[in-house]
Amino acid sequence: MRWMLLGPEVYTFLAALGFLGISLAGRPNSGRDHLAALCLSGVGVLLAASALSEDAILFSEVYRVDLFSQVFKLLLSVGLFLIVCICGEVREIREENRSDFFALIFFCTLAMMLLVSGNHLLTLYLSLELSSYSLYVLVSLRRARDMGVEAGIKFFLVGIFASALMLFGMAVLYAMTRTMNLNALNGALHGMMGQPLVLLGVVLTLSGFLFKLACFPFHLWVPDVYQGAANEVTAYLAAVSKLAGMAAILRFVASVGQGGADLVQVLLVFSVASMTLGNLAAITQQDLKRLLGYSTVAHAGYVLIGVLTLSASGYASVVFYALALLVMKFTAFLVVVKVAGNGTNLHINQLAGLHRRSPVLAMALMVSLFSLAGIPPTVGFTGKFLIFVAAMEKGHFALVLIAMANVLISLYYYLLVIKAAYLLEPEGETGPIAVSAPTKVLATALVGAMVLAGFYPYPFMEIAQAAVGVLP
Amino acid sequence: MMSLLKDPVLLAAALGTSLPFLSMAVILVFTRQNQRLSATISVGSVSVSLLSSLYLLITLYGAGAPVQYEFPWLLADDIVIPFGYLLDPLSLLMLTIVAVISFLVQVYSIGYMSGDPGFSRYYAFQSLFAWAMMSMVIAPSMLQLFIFWELVGLASYLLIGFYYEKWSASQAGKKAFVMTRLGDIGFFLGLIILVLGFGDLSIVRMNEAGQGHQIPQYLITISALLIFGGVMGKSAQFPLLTWLPDAMEGPTPVSALLHSATMVAAGVYMFSRIFPFYSMSPEAMALALAIGTVTMLLSSTMAMATYDLKQVWAYSTVSQLGFMVMGLAAGGYFAGVFHLTTHAGFKALLFLCSGIFIHEYHTNDFRIIGQQGGRKLMIPMVCMTVGALALSGIFPFSGFFSKEAILGVLANHPNKLWLGAGLVGALMTAYYTFRLIFFMLFPRGVAAAHGVHDAKGSGHGHDDHEGEHHGYIFWTMAVPVMILAGISVVLGFSQSSLESFLMGHGSVPAQLAASGGEGHAAAHDGHGIGHYALLIGAVTMALGGIFWAFMEFGRKGATQEGFLRAFPVVERLFAARWYMDAFLRAFLDKVIYSGLTNVFTRNDRRVIDGGIDGICFFTVAGGRLLSFLQSGMLQYNLLVMIVAVGFVVLYFLLA
Repeated sequence: MRWMLLGPEVYTFLAALGFLGISLAGRPNSGRDHLAALCLSGVGVLLAASALSEDAILFSEVYRVDLFSQVFKLLLSVGLFLIVCICGEVREIREENRSDFFALIFFCTLAMMLLVSGNHLLTLYLSLELSSYSLYVLVSLRRARDMGVEAGIKFFLVGIFASALMLFGMAVLYAMTRTMNLNALNGALHGMMGQPLVLLGVVLTLSGFLFKLACFPFHLWVPDVYQGAANEVTAYLAAVSKLAGMAAILRFVASVGQGGADLVQVLLVFSVASMTLGNLAAITQQDLKRLLGYSTVAHAGYVLIGVLTLSASGYASVVFYALALLVMKFTAFLVVVKVAGNGTNLHINQLAGLHRRSPVLAMALMVSLFSLAGIPPTVGFTGKFLIFVAAMEKGHFALVLIAMANVLISLYYYLLVIKAAYLLEPEGETGPIAVSAPTKVLATALVGAMVLAGFYPYPFMEIAQAAVGVLP
Repeated sequence: MMSLLKDPVLLAAALGTSLPFLSMAVILVFTRQNQRLSATISVGSVSVSLLSSLYLLITLYGAGAPVQYEFPWLLADDIVIPFGYLLDPLSLLMLTIVAVISFLVQVYSIGYMSGDPGFSRYYAFQSLFAWAMMSMVIAPSMLQLFIFWELVGLASYLLIGFYYEKWSASQAGKKAFVMTRLGDIGFFLGLIILVLGFGDLSIVRMNEAGQGHQIPQYLITISALLIFGGVMGKSAQFPLLTWLPDAMEGPTPVSALLHSATMVAAGVYMFSRIFPFYSMSPEAMALALAIGTVTMLLSSTMAMATYDLKQVWAYSTVSQLGFMVMGLAAGGYFAGVFHLTTHAGFKALLFLCSGIFIHEYHTNDFRIIGQQGGRKLMIPMVCMTVGALALSGIFPFSGFFSKEAILGVLANHPNKLWLGAGLVGALMTAYYTFRLIFFMLFPRGVAAAHGVHDAKGSGHGHDDHEGEHHGYIFWTMAVPVMILAGISVVLGFSQSSLESFLMGHGSVPAQLAASGGEGHAAAHDGHGIGHYALLIGAVTMALGGIFWAFMEFGRKGATQEGFLRAFPVVERLFAARWYMDAFLRAFLDKVIYSGLTNVFTRNDRRVIDGGIDGICFFTVAGGRLLSFLQSGMLQYNLLVMIVAVGFVVLYFLLA
């Protein structure tokens, strides 16, 4: 069954083509599209799970299927499925664009699946571009055209700038080593990391991944794009597309970074700047999506801590944190999507009285935010604990201290949101929020998952350690 | 499951600590609407906890070696941390304290909170607290302790902000949470260092290895100092002490349970938990002693300048916690834990009595309560006086014995400065305590009619309970108060049996004794002439404080102004908490808000402000897009990227 090697990719590609076909045929029917997307992504999860143990290097070593990539493909499929779950009525995207929306979301996931398997700089570049282009269009699809288009253009301009830098970095690397294959680079760069040009190439190549990860200094698009895109698209950006960024940066740094003390310094600066900027800017935000956007920037900083350890335990903690971020961010956005019933942006004050209007959503919001703030026994706490332990093993004491101070700052603004949901009284009459039974089940399950994975992380950590075991 | 049934001790430990969690879940999910049922479930589960903790205490009284149940909790292949239960004299004692006070406070709350719209929610949070606190107390590893330590903080946040219509309450809750977390940064870092340096967070093994010099000295000192950060946050030690007085915005039973008797004592408890480990670092002990002393003196002065009933007790809690830390840091393991025990009793008593007055008169100002005839409420007035006598350290009340024990330890310390500070603290404690009592007992200008309620500072929103003084609501509050008063009278006499229990074979200090620790010497050295001199000195201080207060506030014709009135600057300094809050506020406003955050968000504002000027839709749309492109935002954004990357490049080319 060699077909299973590329099972998830081929399947997602076909699904995306299907939606493209529906879109070409006209006759929009969003109910049917949503049901189809739900079934397709559900089967996709099963397929990705069954392809977990595949292992091969394909297409003259540019494409690598190993446990690391398969784990991330599974996470991506789960993320896609979860996002589709909340896309029942994407109010902010026109009826006639709904099938495009699904097609693009599947294409984007496909691109990210290719990205996590990329074993060649050009594969990485191409799949990164494919996923970014899908996202540019998705962001611009918003019904309120001015917001969507503005956000899309901003996203696009920053994005192409980052990818230009990335291409330049790749060219430098190629010039120095005459290869673009990651395995070959790993060997060729051995002992060359001290050379300024090599380092320049590596750092510039990283810029594309940092853009994906919303990390300093490529974070400037985040608040505006999060605010400008439709809520569901923002959820996808925040929860799912970050996964691919983490996977790509892990594979790249693991391949080329060994012995790069200077590279660690660069990542360290980016990490500190990212979390400090993100957290301080988030304090004054009033728009919940903007706030979560800045919190994403801060989390990119925490992720970099795990990456810059250049150790297996650090990489494993990043993989675990990827899972944690997926669940936490998705839960927070689930609440955003459901509370902003008509698809508009959500002001923090609009959460007032949420605990009475919908206790389930309020609880989900509280647990997810506490998890993001690293309060035990949630998965966010365990993830941060693992990352910090890995960093301390490498002696990054000051870095961990700064990170913990940042976690404290973040608690402050998460508490502002929780206070609004639990302690503020709404102005004027607001009725209860109609939450369907499946949504309630989903929210409860997510809360359960966050607490369970926080209390019992071992099985996930085991998988994560096995996954990073295949990295060089 | 079978092993659970075969082993009654394990069953009791598991049942006692996890039932409150179940009760919280049940209340939140099913019985929110039914207030009476919610209260029954919560009180029922906490009574089971109480019974099982008493059972454990009796069964394991002479057990010798600590009973430990450990289940490995795997974080990753190389990080294994035990979870489960550690039952030794210290944890059993603390478990019993927590269970008793939780039980009494929950019973009391039936009356105090009756009619509140959030009644069920209140009991759910109470159950959450009971679960987290008890699981923390019997934690066998520092990480489990830390996890439940944070959950206790969460319960505290929820309970302080319980009156959500009060802006100040939710602010106070946030402040408490964030400030204690600030201390927890140190705690957490200390734990990580220990994991990496020693590889084990089991409390028993940590203590043994610390005593056995198996951990390098520098590692002990660093981690002990960092872990002390957690104590500073949770037990409100200087400079993280201002959250505790603010936390009094919550319901009064919450203040009694969390913010005086149990939760804030968690810091001191954690300190005594790893006392053998900690005492191996003289540097850390010296720092703790200094911090404890500063805290005790500072907060005593603050208590002399406030007229808010609960604030006085809050400051006195902070100062007594500082006193406990002093006792522990001077090497007096038993003295510190003993004072923790007696303090839990009499401070809960004082708060619950105050709660009855606040419930009755709808004000926190004890001058007004006195004027409106507070002394007519005989039961709480008598009980409160009992608590005040215990707090001041008057024989035969419990506070006398435990204060005496700590002063004895301080007297054995080579540096007599600490003893002097302790005695001054005792004087101030007696003074501010009886200042309050005399204001209430001998009010001036009893003109105000009983019915005129000053709503200022009143915590809760129901008014119709006139004439129910002897209804069930009054008795649910009065009975717990009387029980606590009884405990405060007799607890002191159990000193020797408690001492033999805590210091017994297999317990923490038994190991200390083997290594000739200072604390052991202190505990047994106090029976000479010096001891009696100290005894007389301490009692003189306490009586002197009471007499002083009597001269200023109690006797006929007293001005009731206090000596502080003569020094307005000092009074303002005390009332403003030595400007610690003002300093913090200014720092937040100036540096964080208007400084850093402002810079980072200017980017946002420029985009938004630049775009809203248009009139019709298309103008706005086009205008925003153009303004974005033309106002330099794009250039600005790209410039940031180029500059950042450029710096990196420069760094490498030049380096």
